[in-house]
Amino acid sequence: MHRARSWLLLALALFAVSATASSQSQNTAQQPSILISRQLADSHGLRIGDIVQLSADRSGNKARPFRIAGVYEPTPDPMRFAQQRLETRLHLPDLLTLTADPSDPSAAESITSINVALTKQSDADAFSRDVMARLPTLRARPTNAPDERTTTFVVVERFHLAIAIVTVVGSAVFLLALMVMLVDERRGTAGTLRLLGFTRQRILIQVLAEGALITVAGAVTGILFAFATEDVFNRFFQWRYDTTLIFLRVTPSVVWRSLLMALPLGIAASLIASWTLLRQQILALVRR
Amino acid sequence: VPAIRFAWLSLVRQPARSLLGILGVAAIGALLFDMLLLSRGLVLSFGDLLERSGFDVRVLPSDAPPFTGPRLTRATALATEIGAIRGIEAVLQLRVRDAEVVLNLQESAPPVHFIGADPRVRSMWTMVEGQDLPDTTGTTSVVVVNRQFAKRLGLAVGSELSLHGRCSNASDVVVPVRFTVGGIADFPFDSVTVSTVAGTLADVDTLCAEENGDRADMLLVRSTPQAGALGAAAAIRASYPELHVVTNEELVERFSRVEFSYFRQISAVLVTVTLFFGFLLIAVLLTVSVNQRLAEIAALRAVGLSRSRVTAGVLWESIMLVSIGGMLALPLAAALSVWLDAILRTLPGLPAQLHFFVFEPRALVLYIVLLAVASIAAAVYPMRLVSVLPIAATLRREVVS
Repeated sequence: MHRARSWLLLALALFAVSATASSQSQNTAQQPSILISRQLADSHGLRIGDIVQLSADRSGNKARPFRIAGVYEPTPDPMRFAQQRLETRLHLPDLLTLTADPSDPSAAESITSINVALTKQSDADAFSRDVMARLPTLRARPTNAPDERTTTFVVVERFHLAIAIVTVVGSAVFLLALMVMLVDERRGTAGTLRLLGFTRQRILIQVLAEGALITVAGAVTGILFAFATEDVFNRFFQWRYDTTLIFLRVTPSVVWRSLLMALPLGIAASLIASWTLLRQQILALVRR
Repeated sequence: VPAIRFAWLSLVRQPARSLLGILGVAAIGALLFDMLLLSRGLVLSFGDLLERSGFDVRVLPSDAPPFTGPRLTRATALATEIGAIRGIEAVLQLRVRDAEVVLNLQESAPPVHFIGADPRVRSMWTMVEGQDLPDTTGTTSVVVVNRQFAKRLGLAVGSELSLHGRCSNASDVVVPVRFTVGGIADFPFDSVTVSTVAGTLADVDTLCAEENGDRADMLLVRSTPQAGALGAAAAIRASYPELHVVTNEELVERFSRVEFSYFRQISAVLVTVTLFFGFLLIAVLLTVSVNQRLAEIAALRAVGLSRSRVTAGVLWESIMLVSIGGMLALPLAAALSVWLDAILRTLPGLPAQLHFFVFEPRALVLYIVLLAVASIAAAVYPMRLVSVLPIAATLRREVVS
């Protein structure tokens, strides 16, 4: 069995309370080695070289000693970010010895899955089909195939999008109210311009240009604010869940989508607000 | 009362502006209220699901999530012993195994979860059609199936069903077992896609042909009203310290702290953002509105209106905008929560009866308090503008301009 390939990730919860640090230093090299997660090392004050007892039984029966050979940072998993990563990695033979059911003769030869690295990644689909055709009791699938994990993120993304839509609707109403007030403040100015001979169209274009300018400035400020707070959000959630996972990332696609939503809304708000004023008679504008 | 009237007149004089302000508050209020519902919705819904199962304590071999860790050995004896402990009303042994429906060779075999339980103890599912599992064994085993499975396979009460146990690595050599559908039921923790079949403990043994079959995934315990869940759990822990005993309340607390914490965090962030946004909206609307009416306010002050009355008028204007918008927000929030709940409930593997947005009076009280704080905070700056307004200078400026 290839040593590097044979390590399995196992939740320490399985071993429950039976993991205990020991200060024994003699014969440590003879003990089978394990790796433990940083979170486990921190929570139990474990260090490299310590001897720990692991058992598959909550009562600690049939515990076996292992030497901590290293501490690793678990690969961030968005599906499990809320769970504390108290984990250890064992060599596969050690794991099987520890967990195999003596009444099940095949237990010592059973594994959960095999990871296969193909020479050409593009062959993954064909390879999976081939494996399932040759071994009908097995299930093979490419690692990038859509599964429960991707569905989860699609749903969460849909939820965030729905929240964003509601926020944008609220913002649009806010913007419209603001523009109505700002345009109303210019009633006199608009009336004077009309009296001087400026056409409605020309005034409208000026208002539109101003609205567009304000919208661009607002959108850019918002995006800069998002960039500035991105790190704060990530640090908070990384601290909260003790993970290196990135929770928030302002990508170019997010920036473009924000601009695409904000610009038409801002311009439309200024257009609607201006038009309600400009369609009035000149004398009404100058309050005569 | 004069201040309220003053505020009301200010609002109705500019209906478009007021309406937009109210609509803005309604949109923000709806999101705020929904986030308050989301903050505890999952926990409340999950607690309700646990209560509905009719058992208040769970006994597991380890603190690993159910069905992922080791199984309880000599489960039948353990269930009997725990059932004899003072304060315990009933104990239900639960064995969950994987199986496949035996169909024609051309068709793929749909996977099912097979639950083995003791029919003498009240079951955790709710019958919708037919009969529950019989206490006695007949010539053929009777099972109860969930609605989606019955619909998918076109099963009705009395239909026959053949299952192949997928319980171990040697499952290929296990012979398929024939069952009769005795009833159709709702299982509290079923997701919308899962197929569930429930039979007796003996059915599990037959289906899986397990040599060492007396192993259960968990024991569901119902405490007596006198002992309560905590008392019963303590008694079991005292007798069996090696077992993991958890009450419904502890389970809900754990889920709230770990598994469901993301939605609590996201709702906390969005509550803060929407509240700030609402504050900003009202503050800006009132400030601009007051700025446009400075001359008018100065004139009113000059003819004898007291400073406190004018200032209180601005505060009432804010309260009215927020109150009307806040009330409009509630039906909007109800509709929005249905939409958002429908989106989130498509998450794979979630119990179909679990909801993310659940109403509780506490959320409504919190909503009113938060909006009240926002409306008062938003009125502070415009109130200050009005209270420090120099009457003579403002009137002079108005006349000159």
